[in-house]
Amino acid sequence: MRYTIEIWGEMCPIPLIKTQKKLKNMQIGDVLVLETEHSCTSRGIVVWAQQNKYEIVETEIANGIWHLELTKTHD
Amino acid sequence: MIHNNLSSQRKHSLGFVVFLGLLLILIAQLDFSLSITLGLGLAIGFTLQKSRFCFVSAFRDPILTGMTELSRAVIILLALSIIGFALVEWWFRAQQIFFKPYVFPLGVHTLVGGSLFGIGMVIAGGCVTGVLMRIGEGFAMQMVAFIGLLLGAFTGKQTQYIWKNFFGEWNSVFLPDFLGWFPTLALELALLFFLWKMLKWWQVRQLNK
Repeated sequence: MRYTIEIWGEMCPIPLIKTQKKLKNMQIGDVLVLETEHSCTSRGIVVWAQQNKYEIVETEIANGIWHLELTKTHD
Repeated sequence: MIHNNLSSQRKHSLGFVVFLGLLLILIAQLDFSLSITLGLGLAIGFTLQKSRFCFVSAFRDPILTGMTELSRAVIILLALSIIGFALVEWWFRAQQIFFKPYVFPLGVHTLVGGSLFGIGMVIAGGCVTGVLMRIGEGFAMQMVAFIGLLLGAFTGKQTQYIWKNFFGEWNSVFLPDFLGWFPTLALELALLFFLWKMLKWWQVRQLNK
């Protein structure tokens, strides 16, 4: 399953907290798609995901807009 | 499906670089040091944006999310600046150039102001550099934060003498005058290293929870 949460215009750490909450209700193998225009938010989520050993792919799709795909690999 | 729009923006970026280059040359005709200042400012802004450095995150994340990556980056930044400034000071003394370090007296109002700024920056989602950088990136909310920043900075500056007289100030302390240059350097770096270790331990602890 692919999920998205609306985080446009929100500053860190709100997106990260929303991500943490959403991830709890997801099954292993599910993907969470996030898009943000807040540079620090994107970086924060990537670092957090790497530290927690989740799979994450970050692409800067336009100047100042980041697309994140987070895969829940474990509980 | 991800649409990559970076390449379509390339011509705008190129145009902007040409514009900035011409502007720098124009200013250099008037005053060379001004164009160097502008060039350095642009370089710092570019580095800030690309590194996505965030002071707010460094102070907030250890408590809120348990991540200390950026806090440790700030510590490395401080350590590098301490060594850099020590070298600058040493070189200036060797060259017999008068050099007055930025040492300011401390008062209760300094602590109150610092706490106010700390609360404000977490709510606004950016410190001064962060707000400026994200306005440039197109994060519109930060423009509101910028107005607040200007208002706060100007009222703070204009009313500074009131607080100074009201709270009083302690004399400024310049550690090298008491301890000498090398012990101060060693002490500061040791303290920073200790903080770095603490933050590392804190992150491991938070992640395993």
